[in-house]
This record gives sequence, C-alpha cells and structure tokens, in this order.
Amino acid sequence: MDVLGNYKSAISARSTDKDILKKAQDGGIITTLFAYALEEGIIDGAIVAGPSNEPWKPEPMVATTKAELLAAAGTRYTISPNLYLIKEATRSYGLDRVGIVGTPCQIQAVRKAQLYPIGMRDVDDKIALALGIYCMENLSYQALEAMVEDHCNQKMESVKKMDIGKGKFTVYTERGAVSQMPLKLIHKYVQPGCHVCLDYVANLADISSGSVGSPDGWSTVFVRSTKGNAVWDGAIKAGCFETKPMDQVKPGLDLVRKLATEKITKNQKNVDARKTVGLKADGTPKGLRNPYESP
Amino acid sequence: MKPAASKPQAKPAVKPTDVIVEKKVEVVQKEEKPVAEKITIGELHLSGCTGCLVTLADNYEGLFKLLDDYADLVYALTLVDVRHVPEMDVCLVEGSCCLDDKLSVEELKEARAKSKVLVAYGACAAYGNITRFCRGGQWNQPGQEAFVPISEVVDVDLYIPSCPPCPQEVRNVAVMAYLLLRGNDEQKNLATAYLTPLMQLAQRGNEACGCDLMYDVINQGLCMGCGTCAGTCPVRAVTMEYGRPNVNRDLCIKCGACYSQCPRSWFNFDVMNNYEGIMDAIKGAMQ
Amino acid sequence: MSKVVEISPTTRHEGHSKLVLKVNDDGIVERGDWLSITPVRGVEKLAIGKTMEQVPKIASRVCGICPIAHTLAAVEAMEASIGCEIPEDAKLLRYILQCANRMHSHALHNILSLPDMYIPGTDTKINPFTKEEPVRSVALRIQRIREIAQTIGETVGGEAIHPSNPRVGGMYRNISPRAKAKIYDLAKEARVLTQQQMEFMIAVFRNYQRRDWAEVGGVQVPIPKDLGYHNQGYMATAPVYGSSSLDENPTWFPERFTEVRPWDWYMGEVEISEADPNYPIGGTTPVGTKAWPQMEACTGVPLYDGQPIEVGPRARQAIFKNYDEKGTIGLQVARQMEFPETAYGIIDALDALDTSGAVVAETIPQGDGSLGWAANEAPRGTDVHLARVKDGRVQYFSMLVPTTWNFPTCSRALEGAPWRLAEVVMRGYDPCVSCATHMLVIDEDKRLVAQKLIQ
Ligand SMILES: Cc1cc2nc3c(=O)[nH]c(=O)nc-3n(C[C@H](O)[C@H](O)[C@H](O)COP(=O)(O)OP(=O)(O)OC[C@H]3O[C@@H](n4cnc5c(N)ncnc54)[C@H](O)[C@@H]3O)c2cc1C
Ligand code: SF4
Ligand code: SF4
Ligand code: SF4
Ligand code: SF4
Repeated sequence: MDVLGNYKSAISARSTDKDILKKAQDGGIITTLFAYALEEGIIDGAIVAGPSNEPWKPEPMVATTKAELLAAAGTRYTISPNLYLIKEATRSYGLDRVGIVGTPCQIQAVRKAQLYPIGMRDVDDKIALALGIYCMENLSYQALEAMVEDHCNQKMESVKKMDIGKGKFTVYTERGAVSQMPLKLIHKYVQPGCHVCLDYVANLADISSGSVGSPDGWSTVFVRSTKGNAVWDGAIKAGCFETKPMDQVKPGLDLVRKLATEKITKNQKNVDARKTVGLKADGTPKGLRNPYESP
Repeated sequence: MKPAASKPQAKPAVKPTDVIVEKKVEVVQKEEKPVAEKITIGELHLSGCTGCLVTLADNYEGLFKLLDDYADLVYALTLVDVRHVPEMDVCLVEGSCCLDDKLSVEELKEARAKSKVLVAYGACAAYGNITRFCRGGQWNQPGQEAFVPISEVVDVDLYIPSCPPCPQEVRNVAVMAYLLLRGNDEQKNLATAYLTPLMQLAQRGNEACGCDLMYDVINQGLCMGCGTCAGTCPVRAVTMEYGRPNVNRDLCIKCGACYSQCPRSWFNFDVMNNYEGIMDAIKGAMQ
Repeated sequence: MSKVVEISPTTRHEGHSKLVLKVNDDGIVERGDWLSITPVRGVEKLAIGKTMEQVPKIASRVCGICPIAHTLAAVEAMEASIGCEIPEDAKLLRYILQCANRMHSHALHNILSLPDMYIPGTDTKINPFTKEEPVRSVALRIQRIREIAQTIGETVGGEAIHPSNPRVGGMYRNISPRAKAKIYDLAKEARVLTQQQMEFMIAVFRNYQRRDWAEVGGVQVPIPKDLGYHNQGYMATAPVYGSSSLDENPTWFPERFTEVRPWDWYMGEVEISEADPNYPIGGTTPVGTKAWPQMEACTGVPLYDGQPIEVGPRARQAIFKNYDEKGTIGLQVARQMEFPETAYGIIDALDALDTSGAVVAETIPQGDGSLGWAANEAPRGTDVHLARVKDGRVQYFSMLVPTTWNFPTCSRALEGAPWRLAEVVMRGYDPCVSCATHMLVIDEDKRLVAQKLIQ
C-alpha cells in the first residue's frame, strides 16, 4: 500500500460553520463531519477528546450534541484513549451508530476491534463513522507540560491553542502571547510507542484529515471508504464545506507524501532495529517483540 | 427490527422436519446441498460455564444461517442429542481441563484425535481464566483441584480468547474455517491470513493476565495509549491513567482479552488493509 | 427383579449430569438418581481471601446462562455482609437485568425442550434447527426474543453474558436517556413476541400431555398421565427478584435449611444390567459397567424443612399465584407463563428509573465479618449466596444454586416414569449443572451452618 493509503479522493477543505472554525484546530473537518452526521442520523453520538479537570488533558467522551462536539474541538497534543469508550458507547450510552475520531493508531485499533472482535461483542457493525487525524507523534501529558512550561515558558492553564507546523511547536495564550520551540527538540518527549508507528495519515479511517498540505486554516482530507465517501458527498451537498482541488493548493499532496514517507521509513528502521537490539550467548543478535509479525 | 416470526422462508427445505436421531443425521450428511459441502463443527464442554456456547447461539438469526449453509453442528451436549465425541472438522473446546476428572481428560484427547482443527474456545480453554484460581477443597469432590488450559493436555490449533468470547469473532472464525476447508485457492489464502494471528496466539502460550499489558506492551516500548485494553476488559479491571493502562490485579480474571485485542499485541497489515472487503464478505456470507 | 439403566451423559441442558435408574420389568423407574458429574471448580473455596469486588465476577462465571443471577446474588451477599444499602436507581437497573436474564433463559430452554415435543396434529417431533415451517418461524422468534433480552442485558449490564456493570455498592454507571428509550422499544417488541411464544409453547406442551405415546429411539413409549409428579414442597422468595438478609422482612429462612452429603442420599455401587444401544444418540451405558452415584455425585443434597423441595417457575407461581399443576408439563407451562411478565417488568422498572440518579452508594463499608445472604430468583429457581466480608476481603462464601435444590426433587419425580422419558422429566427443570457443583458445606462437627446463621 502507498504511504498515503487507499483513498477515493483528496481535497483541501474548510468548514463553512463559523462557530466550529473558531474552536477547531484547522479546517474544522472533524467537528463539522460529526455535527453533520449527528444531524442526519448517520451517527447517534461520537467519541471525541473531551475536557477534563486538568488543563489540556483530554478525557474521552461521548458527544451527542453539537455543543458537546464544540467543547471537544481542537487538538490536544497528548493521549486521549478514545477506544476506552468504544464498547461502553454501545452499552450504557445506548448508541447503535457510533462515531469515533482518532490518531492513525487508534483507527487501527478500531479496525482490529471490528475484524477480530475478541473482547468487543456487538461493536463491529455499530462503528458508523471512523474519522482519522494525521499524526507524526504523540506525547505524554508530562512531556507536553515540560514543552509548554519549560521550553515555551507559559502556564498550561493560560494556553488557548497549541499547534505543530513549519518545524515548530507553537503555543498561543489567552492574553495574546505566542511562544515557540523547534520541533527537533521534542524528540526526547515523544512516547516510545510512536517509534514503531507505520501510519501517518490514518490509512484505515473512513475519512482522514490534517493540516499538512493545505494553507493555514484549511485541511487536507482523504476520503477513503465507501462509507466515508457517502458521508463526504452528503456533507458537501449540505454545504458543510468550502473545497479546493488538492493540486491547486500549496504546499499540496507532495508535502503530505514526503512527511508520510519520512515517518514510515524512519519508524520501519526502528522496527527493524528492534530485531537486533540485544545479544545472545552465541554472539547472534537478540530481538524485542515485533507486533507486526506475531503476538 | 422486524419480528422474526414473520420472516418468509428463504430457501426450499432440503430435509424433512424430523426427530434428530443418529441414522437420519448420517443420511443428511451425505445429501446433496445447495451450497458446497458443509463443514462439521462440534463443541466439547469441559470445565466452563456454557457462556461460550451461549455466545455462539448469540449470533441469533446468524446461527441458523451458519448451520443452514456452512456448518453442521454435530456435537454440543447442551444443544444436540449426540452423547459421545464424533469425528468433526472443527472442534470448539469450552472450559479448562480438570486433571482430576478422568472423563474430562479422555474426552479432550478424543476430541483432538477426531477433529481437524481444535480451537480453544474462550478464556477458560485458552488460558484457564477463573479456573486458574481453583485450589480444590470443596465438597462433594474436594480432590478436584488441578485445572489446566487445554493446551497442557493436547495440541491446540487456534485461540479465541476472552470471557466470554464474542459472537462475531466465533462467527468470523467459523466462516473462515469453512473457506479454509472448502474454498478455492483465493479463499484459502484469505482464511489463512485471517486465522494466522489466532494460531500464533495458540503458540504464544497459555498464561494470560492484565499484566501482559505491562510485560509485552508497555515494557516493550509499544504502548501508544489507545485505550482499547481498558474498553475491552470484561470485568472493568483496566483504567487509563495518563495515557497508560493500569490493571487492578485484584479484579483481573486472566481472560486474555485485553492483550489480544490490543493493536500492539499484533497487527497484521495484510488483513487489516482489506478490512472493508473482508467485512463485506463476511456480511455477504451471512445474508 | 429390578434392573439398572444408566443414561450418561444426559443432553440438552447446561453442564454434565447422568441418570442412574432402577427400573422394573415394564421399564418403569422405581428409583431414580440424577446426579451432576461436572468437575467441581470450587468457587466457594477459591473465593476465600479474595476481594469482595472480584468474587462476584468469578461467581458470575459458574454459569453463562444465568450469569446475571449469580452476579446479583453474589454482589448482594457482599452488600448484605457489609451492610450496604444501594440507591433506588441501582436497584431498578438490577431489576431490569433480572427480567432480561429470565427472558433469554426461558427462550433458550424452549430450544432445548422442543425436540422432545411433537408438532400438534402430527407424529413428527420438532427439530428446532430445521428450515421447515412452521418450526423455522418459531425458532427465529425465539432467537429474536433472546436477542432483545441479551441486548437489554448488555445495555444495562455492560455485557450480555457475565455482566460487568453491577458492583458492590450499586452499579458502575447509570444508563443514558437514549439507552432508556432503546430498551423501552425493545421491551415493547418483546411484550408481543413473548406472548406469542408463550401461547405456542403451551399449545405444544398441552398437545404432548394429550398424547398416549412418544417415540424414543424407535420405541413407542406410553406417556403416563402423571409424568414427573412428586410430592415435595416448593421454595421461592419472590415472584421476580429475590430477598436478602438486609430486608425488613426476608423471605428466605436459613434456619429451615439443612443439607446432607450425597453419601447418605444417593445409591451405592451398582452394575448396569440393562442397555439400549438405539437410545438417541449413542445409546445408554453398556451392560456390565459399574456406577457409583454416592461417590460420583458432584453436589450435596440441600433440604428445606427437612425435605427436598422444588425451586423455579412453578415454585414461584405455587407460592405467589396459586398455580399448582403437577408434573413435567405443569412445570413447563409455568415457565412459559413467566414469559410476558419479563417484558412488563422491564417496562415498569424503566418508568420508575431516573437516568440522572446516583447508582453507587455514598459509602461502602469494608465489612466486619458478619454473615449476610442474598437470594435471587434465577430463571431456574432460587439462588442463595452467603458471604462474610472483613476489611474488603471475603472470609466465607457459599452458593446454593437452583439446580442443586432440584437434583433430589427431580430424582423423586422420576419414580413411576418410563425410563426412556426420564430425560424429558429432567429437562423440565431446565437444569444448569455447572453451577450446581457448588454447595453449602456442613462443617466437621456436623453442626449446620444454618444454626450458626441464627445464633
Ligand atoms: C497527537 C497529534 C498529532 C498530530 N500530528 C499532526 C501532523 O503531524 N500533521 C497534521 O497535519 N495533523 C496532525 N494532527 C492533526 C491536527 O492537529 C488536527 O487534529 C486535525 O487537522 C483536525 O483538525 P480539524 O480542525 O479538522 O478538527 P477539529 O474540528 O478541531 O476536531 C479535532 C478532533 O480531534 C479530537 N482530538 C483532539 N485531540 C485528540 C487526541 N489527542 N487524540 C484523539 N483525538 C483528539 C477532538 O476531540 C476533535 O473531535 C495531529 C493531532 C494529534 C492529536
Ligand atoms: S505516532 Fe502513531 S502511535 Fe504515535 S500517537 Fe500518532 S498514530 Fe499513534
Ligand atoms: S471463558 Fe468465560 S464464558 Fe467461557 S466458559 Fe469460561 S467462564 Fe464461561
Ligand atoms: S485485565 Fe481484564 S481483559 Fe485483561 S486479562 Fe484481566 S480480566 Fe481479562
Ligand atoms: S490497547 Fe495496547 S496500545 Fe492501547 S493502551 Fe492498551 S496496552 Fe496500550
């Protein structure tokens, strides 16, 4: 498979909903799609990264209204274990059609839960819309704290927005300050599990989106599955998005492909390096576990 | 959600409504079928709770589809009258094996000898599950104390972990087993690819615990905090704390669901990349 | 001279059991011993030292057909021991679970009973797996009822089999308004389907009752009019739910309970002296084989007021509704009569449920070792769990499960039946044998636990 995965179309897009754009990270693709799907009854609710009682620490939540979706909009650069709720959403929440957003690895988890529903009874056919967000790496909460408070010298609770782009990690505060740190410094903070990740643009999502490839405030969207295609077409017809063809925007798909290739090549090397990390008594290498080969 | 009772009959019946008696079962097996010859499936109940078998029945209408078109249920004390272990293509074994009960050991060995594919169906058979805690001392058989996962006694081809396992998983395995044993080359390849990780699980070992998340995922630098393990656990023993699972070991029943469901225990791109096609195929097969 | 026949293992019920039958020259049972031969996992003993949260999770796993009953009885026995009252909305959620479990279990039992029965007006027995009508429609209706019940159980209980939501002190989570609406719709559909199913099943059982003979393994066996009659009493604690030692007026009485060991109850060693290789399927045990019920039985023999008693649907209706049709068919009919009320019970509880109400007690004591018990009216009868909890750990745990009560009662009900119909009588009790491998133990000096209970 290509590093960008299978897709039916790639588009540059931005939500037409001003409320959403105000809260969203980039083009508001995810929030707008869920709001549309809720409205149309395509989903009964969506699992998103909701607020918690610590600043910038997401807590998975089931959103069933646009207001709840808005409360969860925007990127938190730390882990939100959204799959935690995937079974419960179909239980006490009573959802029959579940929407879920996640990083590529989380969408992989969704597909595994559907194809191999080992401990996921009655979930497989209830996943109505799985939206992916591109992801280069993720951070523990403490790492994010260190980046914001040490490197950028801002308090977590005063930050309005965080963003990664153009080689920098940027924080914007409520009072209008902007602080930055170079991305290459965050390497030590990346969670180890990301070093073996072989997916950048959520290849297995119904629709995936990220900022890379499109101008500021716009998003690059891959429409992938049959289901995703139907939802995207419907949302376009309903006027949810402004769109531009990918080949007419800058920097365009080439940058997405370049970053995806870089990530996957680097991480494939890591996966391979794990095979020879140690040493056996006979002098041959001793390896760590490789999840892509066997459990 | 239409009431099942008003469903019209899909296909002409191929066999008369009758008592299930041995002779008739044999005749039926030799009869011409509208589809390729069915496989035979049986369920051996050892020291389990029958929840695994109920799981199979919880395919509801799909159970009849499976039995109509893909598999004859030739053995399962709770559902059919056959009293002794017959020959079968696929044997699902439910429950662990009590070493202090001669019959259990004998029946398990007989099932191994008489089946092509032997499946540890559910956590008790695969990992011991709650029977790992057994320690005897209860009337009227205080001497029954040693319970082991079935792979301590016989070779096991495939694992379906979790307590209980899921109806959709055993359905998928049944359809794939049918394709493996009766399909064309392409179907055989697909079935092999699908079943491989479950066969590898059987090779991996017969000990399971929430601790596997620590040993084989976090300690190996592989956890990325998706939360699947916590969502999976059937006893709510796993919570997510700052992006990593925490296992309440005083609650864990050793069912193996969290680890096998974790995308970082195994993830086979050859199958996952075709998730849409495979899910459609399974859905189609069940229609 | 009487001969001995053995049917082993018996089929179409949960678990492993066998029948050892002394029969006369006409093949009529003079003495029947029905016993569990399922290995004893010893849940009561492995529970000791574990946490009060974990033990109900383990207890659930003694039976996958009535796991809700075992979970609730175990959780409530813990609550009874530590003296924890749970919020009203948690009780309502548990009540819904109880009804859902009974609905699914009775429906499943229909599938297991039907092969003994005839399509009315024919001499054709019913194979529930056939594609032929009218059987297929009935089978699909049964599966739809089960689907509804299991879905409700899953929505409220977290899992359809082995519910994860109940916990000591209440429930982990209340349900959402959407879940409530969903359950409502399902229960309304079930109200119609269970009514239809009840009527169908009663017609089938009544038809059997009117027949003169049944065919078993190629033999026409006369059906006696008093098939499955016994003169034992009944025990039930509530029409639907149960009782516990926390109740103001408990409806189960530990002081009326005693127990004997199988050694004093079952037959000694016998040699099989009659066999039928055509008995479906696989024949009865060959002549010359030895059987030793008092050694092999895996359960004890519980008595209430010094007698074996019957528990289950008929017992509930005899005690609470003046129903008392005797025999196997009377028991089967009573079970069907419980069908529709499971749907009504769910609807009533939903009406009372506040989805924003708290479902966990504010304080959950850790226990001082007091003895508490909880009785749950499981689909197949009263399921009593007893526990002592101290500092959050279980010191003593015991499960008196429905089929354990019914083993000796059913053994008596076999007397007078043709041996080829013994399994039909046995199946009438909807046996669940795996969980029945658990029993209350009399301690060494033969003093009854029951006596300690009332001290
Ligand atoms: C850790 C991380 C790394 C990323 N790396 C890149 C990258 O390298 N390149 C790129 O183009 N884009 C990346 N993104 C995606 C990007 O930041 C935006 O999330 C994406 O473009 C969607 O924006 P939107 O305006 O369409 O969505 P919005 O409408 O703002 O909705 C975003 C949705 O994502 C959910 N969400 C927020 N944080 C998380 C989280 N941590 N885990 C799971 N769900 C979450 C929110 O609840 C919300 O529903 C990354 C995102 C994350 C979380
Ligand atoms: S880099 Fe990969 S593993 Fe890490 S959070 Fe992103 S998608 Fe998940
Ligand atoms: S795995 Fe669970 S459901 Fe299956 S037999 Fe064991 S306890 Fe029962
Ligand atoms: S933590 Fe839960 S899912 Fe994992 S083995 Fe234990 S009981 Fe099973
Ligand atoms: S499922 Fe695996 S990768 Fe996901 S949080 Fe749990 S241990 Fe980590």
